[in-house]
Amino acid sequence: MTDIVSATDLRRRYGDGEAAVDALDGVTVGFPRGAYTAIMGASGSGKSTLMHCLAGLDSPTGGTVVIDGVELGPLSDAKLTELRRDKVGFIFQAFNLLPVLTAEENLILPLTLAGQKPDDGWVEQLIQTVGLGDRRTHRPSELSGGQQQRVAVARALVHKPAVVFADEPTGNLDSKASAEVLNLLRQAVDEFGQTVVMVTHDPDAAAVADRLIELADGRIVRDEAVVAAAR
Amino acid sequence: MTRYVFRGLGARKLRTALTALAVVLGVAMISGTYVLTDTIDKAFSDVFQTASQGVDVSVTGAKPAGFGSDQTSPPIDESLLPKVQAVDGVRVAEAGVFQQVSIRNKKGDSIGAGGAPNFISSNSNPPFNAFRYVEGAPPRTADQTALDQKTADDEGFKVGDKVTVVGLPGAKTYTVSGVAKFGTESSLAGASVAITTLPEAQRMAGYQGKVDSISVAGDDGVGPTELKTRVADALRGDAVTVRTGKEEADRQANDLQDQLSFLQTGLLVFAGIAVFVGAFVIYNTFSITVAQRTRELALLRTLGATRRQVLRSIVLEALVVGFGAAVIGLLGGLLIAQGLQALFKAVGADLPDTGSVIKSRTIIVALVVGTVVTVIASLAPALRSTRIAPVVALREGLVEQRRGGRIRTIIAVLLAVLGVALLLIGLFGNTSGGSAAALMGLGALVVFLAVAMLSPILVRPLAALVGRPLQAVFGITGRLARENTLRNPGRTAVTASALMIGVALVAFVAIFAAGLRGSIDKSVDGTFPSGNLIVVNQDGFTPISEQAATAVRDVPGVDNVAAVRFASAKVQGDTGTTPVIGIDTGAATSLYKADWKDGSAATLGQLGDDGVVVDSNSGVGKGKKVGDKLVLTTPTGEQVTYTIKGLLDAGDFSLLGGGIVVPNDRLSRDFNVKGDAFIFVDFADGANPAQTRAAVDKTLATRFPNAESQTRNEFKDSQNAQLTPLLVLIYVLLALSVLVSLFGIVNTLALSTYERTRELGMMRAIGTSRRQVRSIVRQESVITSLIGAVLGVVLGVLFALLISRPLADEGFTLTFPILTLILLLVLAALFGVLAAIGPARRAARLDVLKALAYE
Repeated sequence: MTDIVSATDLRRRYGDGEAAVDALDGVTVGFPRGAYTAIMGASGSGKSTLMHCLAGLDSPTGGTVVIDGVELGPLSDAKLTELRRDKVGFIFQAFNLLPVLTAEENLILPLTLAGQKPDDGWVEQLIQTVGLGDRRTHRPSELSGGQQQRVAVARALVHKPAVVFADEPTGNLDSKASAEVLNLLRQAVDEFGQTVVMVTHDPDAAAVADRLIELADGRIVRDEAVVAAAR
Repeated sequence: MTRYVFRGLGARKLRTALTALAVVLGVAMISGTYVLTDTIDKAFSDVFQTASQGVDVSVTGAKPAGFGSDQTSPPIDESLLPKVQAVDGVRVAEAGVFQQVSIRNKKGDSIGAGGAPNFISSNSNPPFNAFRYVEGAPPRTADQTALDQKTADDEGFKVGDKVTVVGLPGAKTYTVSGVAKFGTESSLAGASVAITTLPEAQRMAGYQGKVDSISVAGDDGVGPTELKTRVADALRGDAVTVRTGKEEADRQANDLQDQLSFLQTGLLVFAGIAVFVGAFVIYNTFSITVAQRTRELALLRTLGATRRQVLRSIVLEALVVGFGAAVIGLLGGLLIAQGLQALFKAVGADLPDTGSVIKSRTIIVALVVGTVVTVIASLAPALRSTRIAPVVALREGLVEQRRGGRIRTIIAVLLAVLGVALLLIGLFGNTSGGSAAALMGLGALVVFLAVAMLSPILVRPLAALVGRPLQAVFGITGRLARENTLRNPGRTAVTASALMIGVALVAFVAIFAAGLRGSIDKSVDGTFPSGNLIVVNQDGFTPISEQAATAVRDVPGVDNVAAVRFASAKVQGDTGTTPVIGIDTGAATSLYKADWKDGSAATLGQLGDDGVVVDSNSGVGKGKKVGDKLVLTTPTGEQVTYTIKGLLDAGDFSLLGGGIVVPNDRLSRDFNVKGDAFIFVDFADGANPAQTRAAVDKTLATRFPNAESQTRNEFKDSQNAQLTPLLVLIYVLLALSVLVSLFGIVNTLALSTYERTRELGMMRAIGTSRRQVRSIVRQESVITSLIGAVLGVVLGVLFALLISRPLADEGFTLTFPILTLILLLVLAALFGVLAAIGPARRAARLDVLKALAYE
């Protein structure tokens, strides 16, 4: 199976001289299409840096990243932005929605920014899936934290990206809302064949994934399939 | 706490600088105005001192009471000279003439191009001579003249060259006999002077047996004060004023100061507007920073800072910013003054190099205004900061305080009513010119404040009005921009209000100027004498020789001419002076046009020896009827009684309106006004217009080169063109206020985008391009600017409607320059784009990762 996202000998060094820190120290990893991968590790292990480099938000000091056949290294900022807009979905821990737009407007924002017309059927399906049928015209301030994060999940899926990156998506949520968000991500993988890469420090969240990668000191120290029973 | 304030200012250098700039400009204008006017004042005082050197006592015509400093002293009879010479203790006494003429350069144009004036001066002999010859000799014959050094150098005149001077009798060509310095300066404050013999100067000034002054030097041992008493005793009963040389120099300096104070007040008003706009910017910046520092201030409170300490820290910050800005503004003022001086030099008014005069008053006013305004503008945000509860430090998210909206609205409405009331009292109340203008200015100020307070309510509909078209064109970025301006309507409102003030004043001036132009056109068409040509002075205001009218009448093809002269008189029982309009009687009266209330054009021909016509629509004519007597004092001190023979229904904008109509021969006799302002020329039936005009022009060019003929349309254009320099000056000065509001928009945008750092990071992450980010910020700026501009244009229109009301009776017609107003809105939009350049670039360049991690 070809990898939709892959990194080869990825290195990221911050600072120089004696104070230099290697956040990533030669990471080679691939993410097959339709897989749900959780990346874990202690603070400072390099898990966030790995995700940022994979998503084209940070530029590695060595190695290559390829998303859907496109190598990120030589891309200009404009091209990178375009790639993020078209091929990547993002879910952050907080501050995920624009307060001035309604839930539905937030949901279709990646398409609007690209100047594309949303596929009404698909948008409708997403709204139903995340269970916000009666809230679509509400502003984020009128939604609960869980509801806001569900809109964010739907937004990450709306343009059918090659990969969805989720950065601690449940970090700000209570357990019930966390479960809902994790289920949604699972559903995206199972029903829509979406590729998901999730950074988390919560073992319960990681347990929902198909595969678990653990980082320490900028290297992969564990890479194994999650046993279905554990899910 | 003090250290905390300074650290904070240091950490926010750019914001501090932008805030300070808002004050700097206004303060710079204040100090610049003072330095400029003080410098001009000093320059001319020096000129007057030089002129009075060697003069112990000076005798001039007594200016009748009631005339202002713009009215020159009337000439005196030369027969007074022997009387003065006979006074015991008088060593030398000499008569002098000093009057405005036109000196032509080698190309035949007036020297100084209408900027610096030209004078003719009678030659004087030691000990009085302020002129020191550097070349040649003083004029000895009626055909010789000496020139000042600057004029000779600039225009290339050498001893023996020919130079033409145009005086009241017409043009005359002289031989240059010498070149002189004025004291130690090369010219008399930039003016050009032709020095001739006394009889020749009298002839050119139109003085028969008259002079402007008698200068006296006393015998040794007779002091100026003693001499003054003796001369005054000898001239008791004559209409003269006797002063010592020093008193005369001081009087001239004071007269000039009176006229300068108009310039000074005018410039200070514009400086005040800039300061007022700056106060809005400061208020807004402090409001935003206090809101952004809510958490930080709350933390200080939890650590034990008292409310008073928090208040003090904000006020101290304002004090530091205000004082710093005032100091910079003060220094900037010196530059502004020098720039203006260079401007004066460019138009020919070369001031002697006295160096900039900086009085302690200038320094004190600049520092106090800059500091106090900043502190006052920061008080409301500072007080708000004290209401932050310590617990906020522990809470999540930014707490936006919603303050008493209803109370605010009520106060705003009350202020609006008060402002309009002040405007109305100023307009229609029984107050004199100065205090009426002050009341109206105060009223406008209060109205601005009221609208600014109301504008948070207006922001939503206005943002929709100007934002929807943007959304239609730019889609999602337009939508986001509009929503962003609505996040904090109060902030947008104050930012827009600062621009509103400048735009309102520009719109008002534009509307008023358009009205003025329209009224001039209407007045020329409706009330000027019919006729084919109008002869005026090239400079547009100096009278032309009365012989020009006679000469033009004799041109073949000319049927008749009608001249108009202007003077002023003090009417008994009236304050101030009243305009006097002189007309030609006889056949010419059929040319004049006017609306009559009582009488007809024929009345003008039957005025006789004491008859006048008054305008029942304005000033002295109100409530008068035919047969009433008017007792007038003329500028020469003559007291005359005239009988009203007719009443006009005209107004100030009508040629014959606004005052008293008197025959020209009487104006010459009683008012000593011997020149015509306009000569209207009527061609004979069947005359070839082109040929006749060419013949008129030829006559003028040879004998009266300072006069030119214009057709009715040319005349309208040249009259309108005279408004242009003043308008440009006003627009430039208002542009400074607009510039201050630009800093306000930049500041608000920068602070607002800074607040949204994380949100911007998220947007960039999910695929918003830098272009799109820039576009959002830019459109936010444009929407804010347009809100200000729309409010401003509406207010400008309302002011114009209100203020033109009392002028309607005078024949002023309001016209709305729609294109100009639309242009104003377009400029405001461009202005918004300009203001957004910095903040948009900064927002677009945000490092996505850092922005996402930003707290």
